[in-house]
Amino acid sequence: MPFVVLENVGKLYREKGAASAARVLSGVNLRIREGEFACLMGPSGSGKSTLLTIVGAMSRPSEGRVLVDGIDVYALPEERRADFRREYLGFVFQQHHLMPYLNALENAMLPLATLRLRAPEKRRRALAVLEKVGLANLASRLPNQLSGGEQGRLAIARAIVNDPPLILADEPTGTLDSKTGAEIMDVFLGLNAQGQTIFMVTHNADNALLAHRTIQIRDGRVADGDGADVPASAV
Amino acid sequence: MRISTIAFANLRRRKGKALFLVAGMAIGIGTVVALWSLSGSIKDEIGAQLDRFGANIIILPQANSLALDYGGISVSGVSFDVQQLRDEDARRIFEIPYRKRLSVVAPKLLSAVEVEGRPVLLVGVDFSAELRLKRWWRIAGRKPEGEHELLAGYEAARDLGLIEPAGPPANAVPGSSHHRSEEQPEFTITRDRVRIGGREHRVTGVLSQTAGPEDRMLFGALAHVQALAARPGRLSVIEVSALCKDCPVEDIVAQIRQQLPHAKVSAIQQAVRARTEMVERLTRFSVVVSAVVLAIGALMIFTTMMGSVVERTREIGVLRAIGFRRVHVIQGLILEVAAISIAGGLLGWATGMLAGRAALPYFSDGGAGLEVRSSLALVAVVAGLLVGVLASIYPAIRASRLDPSEAVRHM
Repeated sequence: MPFVVLENVGKLYREKGAASAARVLSGVNLRIREGEFACLMGPSGSGKSTLLTIVGAMSRPSEGRVLVDGIDVYALPEERRADFRREYLGFVFQQHHLMPYLNALENAMLPLATLRLRAPEKRRRALAVLEKVGLANLASRLPNQLSGGEQGRLAIARAIVNDPPLILADEPTGTLDSKTGAEIMDVFLGLNAQGQTIFMVTHNADNALLAHRTIQIRDGRVADGDGADVPASAV
Repeated sequence: MRISTIAFANLRRRKGKALFLVAGMAIGIGTVVALWSLSGSIKDEIGAQLDRFGANIIILPQANSLALDYGGISVSGVSFDVQQLRDEDARRIFEIPYRKRLSVVAPKLLSAVEVEGRPVLLVGVDFSAELRLKRWWRIAGRKPEGEHELLAGYEAARDLGLIEPAGPPANAVPGSSHHRSEEQPEFTITRDRVRIGGREHRVTGVLSQTAGPEDRMLFGALAHVQALAARPGRLSVIEVSALCKDCPVEDIVAQIRQQLPHAKVSAIQQAVRARTEMVERLTRFSVVVSAVVLAIGALMIFTTMMGSVVERTREIGVLRAIGFRRVHVIQGLILEVAAISIAGGLLGWATGMLAGRAALPYFSDGGAGLEVRSSLALVAVVAGLLVGVLASIYPAIRASRLDPSEAVRHM
């Protein structure tokens, strides 16, 4: 049973005042298995980020269905969808988008802020993920006191602190040099090795080669999205 | 890590903006606090002055009257079942629960006497009470002190030939005094002896013209007039001045009625209305100015928060993306404003009280003091919170409605 299923997903964007809508995605069928590391590649404007936000329960598709762990994501009411994002998804953004006024530990704890957990438990969890990404000794630093690679790792720590089943990453190495990018990819691969499902948008073919599967998107259409070519043993 | 942690950390990050908002809020709240403190003190002072300025309660003997009309011709009315007011009634007024509010109780006996062939109204008064009640009286000469000493109203003195209208001092008889007001001379006292009831009395002072009934009266010591009129212990009227800062004069009237069931007690509505109107005007003025100031404060917070929401679109988008509900976003923003409002309210209260104290001498004759009311601090904080939170609700809701995917795209 695939963990993520997109059925005939399409997306139309209508700019304010525009007479007609622009089609960004069309008839996308996609399946990602639990524990799979899938990369989405395509040229700029092909609809990669749009597809990621649709899988991320942030942008309702104009047509089709999105199922994650059997949950019809867009059948959920708005506030329940926010809960779903917190429980099921971890986001890693291209610019990392860390809160500049919170230190590394607080940034890692951010997704726990709305949970009814005791402060020591939140702290324990955040320290554990910082340890996991190798930032435990930099917990008190502000983001601007961290290098690009450290910021990337901190963004990953924030994404996994809730122990979500699925990580969505939008070109997480896009702004990093190749060495730092490789470090970030190592973190992703390490997480995947522990069973973490990862869906990553990337421009970098070398990164894509490290994934189990690369899904190509062009003009809003996905080829071979069902992953039938990936042997289950590889995941 | 709680939502409040994020809110307060954000305030620390944007210190300048937070301080600007606190200062703005403090100025608004401070203006309102200063205004209310000042107007409260001025209201008290005006109220106290109006209360002191003449009687506001009058007590007469209870009587039933009958208008006589015969064939369409009105004949003078008759009174029957006339009750009597006595000296002890004046004393019993001081036994009412609101006795501390009584400023002056001035008993009087009115008696018609003949002075040198002319009928004159002689009023027996307690001079010390009467002069406290009639602060507008100006006496040429001095107030009577002995039993056979009198005070004359202007017209009575003129009709009895005690004074001559203003003229050059040369017209004055030797030993007479010459009374001048500050601008021009009014009259010259020509003699000071009159005979009433076969006994000689000395007129020690003449009232400047008041255009009131006292112009036509002679005033003597109450006990002496009672003896002259052969009505010992009797009173015609009692005038009362009550200080009504915190109590309606009607309550005092009711208490006196209970104390003196045989008397007719009524509030002088003109005095009561004047006081009420003055207080209401000041209150309306304070309310309008406060509303304008608070509206300006609310507008300032509204525009700042709207700007802040635009500025923080990305941050809000990230929070929404990682699972913050709309209500969490609203909560965070409202917490920020609440912290600013509480700080602004407290600072505003302190500055308002200081400003009020500094400004009071320019608005008051010195009779009023500015009371530092800690309860006003609570009101200031609550008002600040209300203004801040109400002004931020729309920006906060707008922030919560940001589409996270659009916010992510904003990145």
